[in-house]
Amino acid sequence: MPLRLSLRATTTIPLELDQVTPERLAGLSAAQIERLPIRHGNRNAALADWFEVSGEADDLQLEFTGEGLASLHGVGCGMTRGSIQIAGDAGRHLGARMSGGEIRVAGNAGDWVGAEMRGGLIHVGGNAGDAAGCAYRGSPRGMLGGTLLIRGAAGAEVGRAMRRGLIAIGGDAGDALGYGLLAGTIVVGGNLGIRAGANMKRGTIVQLGSASPTLLPTFARACHLRPTFWRVLTRHLRQLRFPLPDETEDREFELFKGDLLAGGRGDLLTGIAG
Amino acid sequence: MQIGTTQIEDTFAEAFRMRYVRVIVTAHDDYWAETAARSFTGFASSVIACDVEAGIERRLSPAETPDGRPGVACLVFGFSIEGLAAAVPTRAGQCLMTCATTAVFDGLGATAERIPLGKHLRFFGDGFQQSKVIGAERYWRIPVMDGEFLVAESLGVEKGIGGGNLLLEGKTAGGTLAAARRAIDAVEDLPGIIAPFPGGVVRSGSKVGSRYAQLKASTNEHFCPTLRGRVTSHLAPGANCAYELVFDGADEGAIEGAMCAAALAAADEGVLRIGALNFGGRLGKFHFHLHKLLAADV
Repeated sequence: MPLRLSLRATTTIPLELDQVTPERLAGLSAAQIERLPIRHGNRNAALADWFEVSGEADDLQLEFTGEGLASLHGVGCGMTRGSIQIAGDAGRHLGARMSGGEIRVAGNAGDWVGAEMRGGLIHVGGNAGDAAGCAYRGSPRGMLGGTLLIRGAAGAEVGRAMRRGLIAIGGDAGDALGYGLLAGTIVVGGNLGIRAGANMKRGTIVQLGSASPTLLPTFARACHLRPTFWRVLTRHLRQLRFPLPDETEDREFELFKGDLLAGGRGDLLTGIAG
Repeated sequence: MQIGTTQIEDTFAEAFRMRYVRVIVTAHDDYWAETAARSFTGFASSVIACDVEAGIERRLSPAETPDGRPGVACLVFGFSIEGLAAAVPTRAGQCLMTCATTAVFDGLGATAERIPLGKHLRFFGDGFQQSKVIGAERYWRIPVMDGEFLVAESLGVEKGIGGGNLLLEGKTAGGTLAAARRAIDAVEDLPGIIAPFPGGVVRSGSKVGSRYAQLKASTNEHFCPTLRGRVTSHLAPGANCAYELVFDGADEGAIEGAMCAAALAAADEGVLRIGALNFGGRLGKFHFHLHKLLAADV
């Protein structure tokens, strides 16, 4: 039986939950869990001040329920194992720096989802804000591993300085996707914003949408291609139950190499209609 | 013991511990997948003089392959991990990477022992190669003239068995050859088994050593019908032809299944006797006794 945390009341002030992860709660009694410190804005609070706690945490499963879950920030931050389910929206820094386990959000997620994550799986059922899988400001590397799946659209700067791992976005992506990408794979089911892949060194960006992207002049067209790795990747995404259009597997792409200002070793693949 | 009119000799096949990898080759269509696999498993009949023993395990439908294209599963056996590590990347580089549209995947998954594949082949990319991690697997994408050659970074290695065998002794060459074909057809779709010789059939059965010091093996004169009268013949009375079927398998069950299926398919009135070859039990740790194997079926 999972540990269920039901939000007692809505608040517009952030509730910081970065200390509340499955492995930290495992082995604690109900009373100890209720006394766990959290932050409400600039004030200290106990978990039970804001949540009704039921169930057990020993099986490393947490569930967040209630109205106004978008005010919960840092959920699953740094988690190493276990699972977290959020029956609604989630706030900022969801699963940031996590290295293992699984987070599933039924609704939307805020900014910085999966920022600098190292492993594990995050599945966002709706849209995500800016800077998903990103490096924090001043940090040389963003996502270092794991899988970030966003069924809806995503904001700007997704995967900035990403070094390893997979980000898949079902809808459109905002501007500067994959800025400074070091390696790894970003798949966009919709269309790219401007400056996609700017300063990318290696790695792969895939656009499935039919719009012609406005690429930087430092991307050079290479060829039409049906890459074999894409066939393997689509199967992997389908195993993760990430929705992809029919016939995606055998899709033909136009390959661009870039960013030539950063060595030109990155791949940007854009879908070819029909 | 008899199967119909065919005598089953009270003897055993003697087999050896080997290591093996399963290589999955995919391509644009069946033709290119088969072409690549046949080239990759060529000159790999026996470790007497080949670097490995290899063969096609079975054809794979698109639903069974990692990239959704037609494929072929090949098994490659060697006496050591080091031997496989030397032979398999070389063969893959010359026979799979060069073949149009192919990709190469590991067919064994997570194993304790592994050998490099793409980890070595990637250098053909001359710095233009790219790695791609998908799930738990790392692949290498090597640019080639029809696009990219995708190859798994490494292959899992498991313990297997080499040298399971049957000896078919018949009245006529034609009848014995037909029996051998039936036997090999019967094991073609069995999992975890290959028959590495041409068509799965050996006509040059060998013994260890030779009167010529430089040879590791030489013809087994006791089973050559043309030498009957000159040397002691071990052929069944009336036999004018013998063929050996050799099986390498993933485990004892695979070898046993293949030997049973082959013996049952081969037996008919043209086959006087079905036996097996061994070294008196002195060399191989696996002994497959024909009467014990076939007891349930006869």
